[in-house]
Amino acid sequence: MKFKQNYIFVISLILLSSFTIVQNGEKDSDIKLITTQTNFEVGSRIVLKFSSQGEIKPLLYCSNSYGSTLISPHNESGTLEYQIPENISIKIGVLNWKLLNDEHSITGKINITPKAEVATMETYIGPPSIESGGADYTMLVVVPTDSLDNPVPTNTLVTAKNQFLDYEETHDIFTKNLIAYRNINSKKETGRMLVSSESLGTNSKEFTINVSAAIPTNFSISATRSHGYADGNQITTFTTSVIKDQHKNIVSDGTFVTFFITNSKGNILKTTGLTLAGVATSKMIHPDYADSWKIKAYVDGMSESNSISLDYVQVIEDFEVTFSENNREITIGPLQSFMQQMIPDGLHVKLNIYKGNTFVTTLTKTSFNGYVHFKLKPAIFDNGTYSFSIETAGLTKEFKNKKLW
Amino acid sequence: MVGLNKNIMRAILIASYVVLIGLIVSALSGIFSYLNTGADRSKMLHTEIQKIEQYLPKIVWEPLDNEGRIMDAQNLSALQNDYLDAWYVKQIAYKTNKIAGIKDYYTDSSRENLYSFIALNKTEKTTIEATTLSHNPTLEFYSEDGQLAVVTDRNVVEYKRVFKADALVLETTETSTYKIIFLLEDGFWRIRHMVKEDNAIYNPEQKIIATDSLNIKGINYYPQATPWNTFGDTFSTDTISKDFKIIKDAGLNSIRIFVQYEDFGKARVKPEMITKLRQTLDVADKHNLKVVITLFDFYGDYSLMNWTLDHRHAETIVNALKDHNALLAWDIKNEPNLDFDSRGQDIVIAWLDNMIDLVKSVDDKHPITIGWSNTQSATLLKEKVDFVSFHYYEDLDKLDEAIKTMKTEIKDKPLVLQEYGLSSYRGLWNPLGYTEEDQAEYHKKIQNILAVNKMQFMSWTLYDFKDIPTEVVGRLPWRKRAQQHFGFINQNGEPKPAFQYISKE
Repeated sequence: MKFKQNYIFVISLILLSSFTIVQNGEKDSDIKLITTQTNFEVGSRIVLKFSSQGEIKPLLYCSNSYGSTLISPHNESGTLEYQIPENISIKIGVLNWKLLNDEHSITGKINITPKAEVATMETYIGPPSIESGGADYTMLVVVPTDSLDNPVPTNTLVTAKNQFLDYEETHDIFTKNLIAYRNINSKKETGRMLVSSESLGTNSKEFTINVSAAIPTNFSISATRSHGYADGNQITTFTTSVIKDQHKNIVSDGTFVTFFITNSKGNILKTTGLTLAGVATSKMIHPDYADSWKIKAYVDGMSESNSISLDYVQVIEDFEVTFSENNREITIGPLQSFMQQMIPDGLHVKLNIYKGNTFVTTLTKTSFNGYVHFKLKPAIFDNGTYSFSIETAGLTKEFKNKKLW
Repeated sequence: MVGLNKNIMRAILIASYVVLIGLIVSALSGIFSYLNTGADRSKMLHTEIQKIEQYLPKIVWEPLDNEGRIMDAQNLSALQNDYLDAWYVKQIAYKTNKIAGIKDYYTDSSRENLYSFIALNKTEKTTIEATTLSHNPTLEFYSEDGQLAVVTDRNVVEYKRVFKADALVLETTETSTYKIIFLLEDGFWRIRHMVKEDNAIYNPEQKIIATDSLNIKGINYYPQATPWNTFGDTFSTDTISKDFKIIKDAGLNSIRIFVQYEDFGKARVKPEMITKLRQTLDVADKHNLKVVITLFDFYGDYSLMNWTLDHRHAETIVNALKDHNALLAWDIKNEPNLDFDSRGQDIVIAWLDNMIDLVKSVDDKHPITIGWSNTQSATLLKEKVDFVSFHYYEDLDKLDEAIKTMKTEIKDKPLVLQEYGLSSYRGLWNPLGYTEEDQAEYHKKIQNILAVNKMQFMSWTLYDFKDIPTEVVGRLPWRKRAQQHFGFINQNGEPKPAFQYISKE
């Protein structure tokens, strides 16, 4: 049944088409394009007119930048009128059309030309932050569009304007490839650059570009401390000079500075700081034994400082050790600083314990009120003969063959 | 009576209770499973989403010489992907008059232009099926911050089918030049402005390929053990070489082989398949045989949205083999007229027409043909092909007349009888079938007709096969059996009586 219907449909289509072909054959020679205008300004009413004697009303296919459609005509006293829909006539570009009357149908092209009018200044600028010194630049891209959201004609004048400190500049640029652009280079100074543009009386809004300092140049460092004693308690502060780029602009706040401290053993201590107004500071606690430091600072990969050196004077010349409670309590102290005052709490004292010649363990304590007490519990340390070495403030004392019981 | 009513009432109450509980349970489980979907951590990064290749028109970038920032390969590839996707979603939108997908590839203001077209076409019952076949973009400008690009896409070949109330009213191929501004928004390169700068009707130059020297005396070839699967895992150049020697020694000069669309990997043709195909041609060359390659077999889609994929399939194969010495001709599609009923004649013809253009654009030296399954269809596209091929399995008495009829319509191009043969199956499923002697008689007779009409030919086929894949003739055993016995050599490898008429009377 379905088959039958299909056959009937196909046959009727063939019959129908043969009729229409015959009809067209008679009539198509009569259809002629009347409209001679091929350039229309965007937004204007576009009507394609054809002269026609017969009654047929062929469809008109037309296609523009965004899509295609079919238009039905109005037939008025021998004229076929095709009005181009508004969504097509408001877009610039080529509109190609074809009258669907028969195989030798009429085709044509219409140019919908842009208006010399700017309604919107679509502006893009980037990157938003550039480096001073004149080499780095930001790019202003302007897409001026008319009130129907079409790009403006090629070679439309756009004025690119920018203000920076005392400079105010305007440059004429012209649209090409639907856009206009200009590279805006930085100056030697840092600051905020304001950018805008104007075309055919329409102005863009204001854009801000941040011009930051270029990479830092070499700088110097200094150290301040309350005294030069190695008391393991006071703090030495390192400070950079004002770090600047090659045009004497102070580097951006937050520039990361690393201080490398090399001590007399060749070990490296590291401390870091961030710049504020070009100055970075960083601190390091004093050593607790006599030492000599070499300090150098770096902004990683960009610049470095001079090298300075600091010496720390030994404060504890000697210390007393007393054994009590069956030699199971070891008291170290008094530990006295440079004015014979008790050393501030927290000085490290290390006790190495040997049984015979065999190393047993190391106990570490910090000083409190100038003393350190070690208690060797019988549960851990059996009765017997032990040797001890005590290290603090870079000094070592040894006690051999102490009997614990 | 009262008791019965009470029981009925009870039954209804219990039943409704059961149904109610069932509904509540299913609603709760629905809510529970809904709450369990979604926020799956393993899917958070969308790593499982693979790019599906759905639109691959030929795209050739002009050398990069743009203003602004220097373009790099990765960004260019991202731009190209989004640009082609923008075309793809547009084609889908105009085909269905729905706006799905458009907002990903067009900015807020430019998508309005598409929406207005869709609204207009929807009310006017106009639908447009379209595809673009080639693009030649030039990057004009790339902004310093990498957020804006201007591209001129020259001579975009667009094929369109325009429907009014579901009736096809126009089929057109145009070339257009577009200037496009892209903005990088939310990781998508979106079209901000698109301006058609030029348009013309597409008329590719028809290069005539001389076919005077053609003298095809050939055979359709499948290996005996793996019919319809020449290039599978069991592919062996030794088997092929042995078979080609038999063919050459029998006095034939050419073979016809088939490229199966899915087996070869569709749009991304598998390199190993190309290798096997090339090895086959190498062997043929060694035996001084020429090869007709059927580019599409086991293919029946033709839908406009997949044309670009089909084109990449053909392009890859043609490009790889166009300089091979053994290559004789490209046969675009095996028996496309069998798809007229299911797919529509106009779309099949349009597909073939455009495929011929594509193959010619890649290889303008080797002739092109289409393997029509009957004599009636042979005149279709006769002006596009370089020689006309048709298949004939009907009554031999009518062949002579059919050839003469065709020759009156096709005057200036050679005719090739590309498939013919007779099954020598007589058995359980067809007790009145032809014998091997009948088959020999058939081949003797047809050789006579071919000689009288000076026809070129390719017979079906060298071997009787043991296993016929279901895709070929379906599951029906009488069809499979018949298909097994078309060969000149039987299943045991012995020549059948027909073998003496394989190349001559």
